[in-house]
Amino acid sequence: MRDLILQALFSGLLIGGVYALVALGLALSFGAMRIINLAHGELVLIAAYAAYVVEARGGVSPYWAIPLALAIVSVVGAVLFLMIDRIREHRELNSLILTYGVGIVLTNAVLLAFASDVRTTTAPALQDAVTLGPVYAMAGEIVAFGLSLVLMVALWWWLKRSWYGRAVRAVSSNRAAATLMGINPLRTELVAFLVAGALASFAGVALYTMSVVQPALGHALTVKAFIVTVLAGVGSIPGVFLAALLLGVTEALTVTLASSALQELAGMVLFLLVLFLLPSGLFGARARRG
Amino acid sequence: MASPRAPLPGLALAAAFLVLAALPLLLGASNYLLGLLISALILAGVALAWALLGNLGGMVSFGHAAFFGVGGYASALLAGKLGLPVLLTVPLGGLLAALASLAMLPALRLSGPYFALAILAYAQIFRILATEASSLTGGAAGLQRYPGLPTVFGLDLASRPGAYALLVALVALGCLAYAAIRRSALGLALRAIAESEDATRVVGVNSVLLKAWMLALSAFITGLFGALNAHIIGFLEPDYAFAGSWSVLPIIASVFGGYRTVLGPVGGAVVIYLFDQVVAKGLIAVGHQILLGLLLVAMVLAAPNGLLGLLERKGGARAGA
Amino acid sequence: MLALEAVTVRFGGLVALREVSFTVAQGEVLGLVGPNGAGKTTLFNAISGLIRPRGRILFEDRDITRAPLHRRARLGIGRSFQIPQPMKHLTVRENLEVAQVFGAGRRDPARLTEILEVMDLGGQADREADGALALQELKRLEIAKALATEPRLLLLDEVLAGLESGAKRAFAAKLRELHARFALTIVIVEHDIETILGLCSRAVVLDFGQVIADGAPAAVFRDPKVVASYTGAVDA
Repeated sequence: MRDLILQALFSGLLIGGVYALVALGLALSFGAMRIINLAHGELVLIAAYAAYVVEARGGVSPYWAIPLALAIVSVVGAVLFLMIDRIREHRELNSLILTYGVGIVLTNAVLLAFASDVRTTTAPALQDAVTLGPVYAMAGEIVAFGLSLVLMVALWWWLKRSWYGRAVRAVSSNRAAATLMGINPLRTELVAFLVAGALASFAGVALYTMSVVQPALGHALTVKAFIVTVLAGVGSIPGVFLAALLLGVTEALTVTLASSALQELAGMVLFLLVLFLLPSGLFGARARRG
Repeated sequence: MASPRAPLPGLALAAAFLVLAALPLLLGASNYLLGLLISALILAGVALAWALLGNLGGMVSFGHAAFFGVGGYASALLAGKLGLPVLLTVPLGGLLAALASLAMLPALRLSGPYFALAILAYAQIFRILATEASSLTGGAAGLQRYPGLPTVFGLDLASRPGAYALLVALVALGCLAYAAIRRSALGLALRAIAESEDATRVVGVNSVLLKAWMLALSAFITGLFGALNAHIIGFLEPDYAFAGSWSVLPIIASVFGGYRTVLGPVGGAVVIYLFDQVVAKGLIAVGHQILLGLLLVAMVLAAPNGLLGLLERKGGARAGA
Repeated sequence: MLALEAVTVRFGGLVALREVSFTVAQGEVLGLVGPNGAGKTTLFNAISGLIRPRGRILFEDRDITRAPLHRRARLGIGRSFQIPQPMKHLTVRENLEVAQVFGAGRRDPARLTEILEVMDLGGQADREADGALALQELKRLEIAKALATEPRLLLLDEVLAGLESGAKRAFAAKLRELHARFALTIVIVEHDIETILGLCSRAVVLDFGQVIADGAPAAVFRDPKVVASYTGAVDA
């Protein structure tokens, strides 16, 4: 039993890394545009199916899909951005409806193209078990987690150090002031949106190599990313990362101790508890008092 | 410019419902067509409830399937297991859906877009619960031994014409209630909250309470129609009663017809439902929702106020000139 | 009527208000003055409930420190915002209607008409309250909205700013009329010394979040501390 729990903790941590990438993308586009992209999970979905196509039809490692996924997701993301930008009236409500509609289109497009079957990598190298003391993981899971860590550090560096990263932070905190400082808010928003899409691309490929994907995944991922951001409270990258790990671990423990049917419910319950008890999130205590 | 607060479209409303009521007579009332129209009216009721929340509460809900499912299951169980009369269990289904909406109150503290996501997450909980609580709900296998609609004053509501008449009446009643709220000071305050919350609170409006009322009312109407639907079709399973399409279709219908108008969601529901069932499903068996998604995107971009919204705006501009 | 007891507001490390204590008597017209950033608007936000301060705020001997925003309006505190915040998409009259129904708890169209007339908004009653109105009209709407809630205490945040001196005198006269007609107690944030001297029975000066002077306006403006902190801001 103890080994099972340890294994669940470990697997949960590994998938949590990918959840963090998806959640950071959602938070980044929200920070820059004040708009929730309800099609964000579908961007991940597209990337995952790009990996499937490259592996199943191209016969090479799914990691080769990363450039393809980046290209497709960037194009879709840019089109989505331009559509959002066209909205003038009731921007908040209408952009929600718009991105929701785009999510429906993308999910059903994937469904039409690839049917509702569950897909995962067939590369033996990625499915090799790696044993670490009492627990084990597939090689693909380890690589995906490592990739997530590297990307999070890169994102942190980008936001902190690069000109565009600073511009994104400036636009998020005070749009009018940023504009006065000579920052083009539209271009900054687009950059933030594309970076969010890039995170989604990596997350999609990673998910395909470590887990199973199917058309309904996109919607579920958007919800998970949202739960993570609520858990994390006022956003910081480490906060989101910890919240994502918590969600991954909670899900994995639920599957091990109860039933896989309750996996989704575990995240929701966690989410409701935080919403009821800690409205500013697990890591937002300071913001709450202020 | 005149205020966009349109005059109560009483005449238009009456005309629309006369047409709706007479439709089956005009079209020869085939059972198939009546069945489609009955489903379309169920959807119209939910769309009306959705638009009421969106337009007056400023809240976009992606989770009305939760209220629909709760209403259906509650009424079916109360009638089937406790033997309560269906005429009582249907409104009780609505009340329980409203009660379920109370669990969402903490989410009202979240700002607009985050609320929308919260309700999305929330809707999933109910489907999972309905599947898992199998001793009560029959689980994934479903529920089918519960009574249908009764006969009232000689009108057999279980028959298709009877159910159709009942639904036309209820949807009309819903429209009237919606129009009345929209024109009241309550409706004005609600519209003000959506755009300028602090400015509205500072003159004494308890914005959270008002939003909570709208959420509960919207959930009640949705649950009511969910309950009616359960008794009309006589079969429930979690994947059907809590299906995502009960969240998606009302949105598309409302946006298509114009969610800031009273009649828009109703007209939109009839058009969208018939389009989905007759055209889209014929063209694409699996994934037919892609057409609805495209329609939704196109409407938000080209006519965010819906088709009726466009007409109303033109009329309003002329009246204001 | 209003008593502030050691009201303190912090934004992170910044102390916006430090132990502010003073009382406002029934029927007073109190000028709240001080340089930009002295904490005047923050004090209004604390009194009207937009932020929760430390310390205590008593309104008509009732502790309202933790009362929510909307309840304070119903208790009889009305306020205007420095940057007008009309209820958009509602007409001017509808703005007042909402304020009356929810703030005063009754419906009295005649009184709304009276307020519209007093605030020179009669001609704008059926226009939408946003871009279509001029800034000064929006500012008068701010006051009209507050009046519609039938307040006993009215907090006015720089309602005279941006008017040239003739218009300013006329508007100050209007405020005196409101004061008498609606039996109000008024606290007004204003920079112009002439206006304060002409309008107010008392002035409280805030600087760096603290009360540095409190008394008859003429005496207050001769106070060396006030002269030192205040003159720079007036020129700006």
